[in-house]
Amino acid sequence: MTPTPTAPDGLGTRAGKAFAAYITGERERLSELVDLVTPVLWNAARSQGAPAPMCEDAIQTAFLQLVDRAESIKEPAAVLGWLVVVVKREVWRLSRGSRREIGVDEVPEAPTQQLDPESHSILSERQRVLWQHISTLTPRCQELLRVIAFADRPDYAAIAESLGMPVGSIGPTRGRCLQKLRTTLGSDPGWAV
Amino acid sequence: MTSHTEAIDARDIANLDQLRDLFAHADPVPSDLAERMKFAITVHALHAEVAELMDSALLTTRGADAKVEPTPTDSVTFTAASVSLMVSASPSEQADTDVRVRIDGWVTSPGARVEAMTVEGSVSEISDANGRFVMDDLPHGPVHFVITDPDNDDVRPVITPTIQI
Repeated sequence: MTPTPTAPDGLGTRAGKAFAAYITGERERLSELVDLVTPVLWNAARSQGAPAPMCEDAIQTAFLQLVDRAESIKEPAAVLGWLVVVVKREVWRLSRGSRREIGVDEVPEAPTQQLDPESHSILSERQRVLWQHISTLTPRCQELLRVIAFADRPDYAAIAESLGMPVGSIGPTRGRCLQKLRTTLGSDPGWAV
Repeated sequence: MTSHTEAIDARDIANLDQLRDLFAHADPVPSDLAERMKFAITVHALHAEVAELMDSALLTTRGADAKVEPTPTDSVTFTAASVSLMVSASPSEQADTDVRVRIDGWVTSPGARVEAMTVEGSVSEISDANGRFVMDDLPHGPVHFVITDPDNDDVRPVITPTIQI
């Protein structure tokens, strides 16, 4: 095996360690877990197009389920992916009301990412250009890129899987979505620094 | 030409960084979301009763719709079915600056354990025969209190909303 350079732990790994410590009795480590993963969960929830209060409820439900089921979670290291799955499913359950249960294996597709006009107006010129390019990608790529942008490179594969993207499509490689972003930005003379 | 099967490089990371900045700017995580999640988890895990803030004129709690940081408070009372708690904050006597806070508290149950949960962790004291307790050397910032009966684990703990000291 070729030696790999020592990389700092990704967010998912740090969250996994905090959760494993929580399970073994270090109760205060749960606070660290919440601080670490909340930005990722917020973006995973908001990328489903649901209003903010509904997203907050979904995130809270996910954390409470995590606490209730802490002992039965087989892979504490995978806690970030577990939470992303629960948050996404919970947002969909809430936004559909109680009309229909979502099947266990069903992963609904996120809508095209939207910004309200007020949010759009506070973007910098460069952010508007980036937003235009993001808008040309498929909804699935928009969702994936939005969520992994708040995590670290080692977490991408787990997050992609929890969002229902085929695992083989990302992993240690760039993946199609990052490649598309790179291509569309690269083709824009106005984007190059 | 680059391909999707190549390794993620510095440019991809830079693109993601800019994307993160965009969403963090346009749709930021509510500033107190993580604290509210911790509070919900604590209430849930303790099966606790949530005490009500009685004199809300004296301070602002970190509510769901709070857009600005609450102003610091001097004195406040919380009430639950089984117990009431009053706390007053003042500059700590141990330090010569105002970077630390002293809490003088009074709880309606003598011998109750009062735990203050701050950003630095938790501090706990047992109230005396008159229900009084003192916590010196606490940090400024958010704090909530958990009141338990050290002699009886069956009594439901009482938890207060978070206030700023």
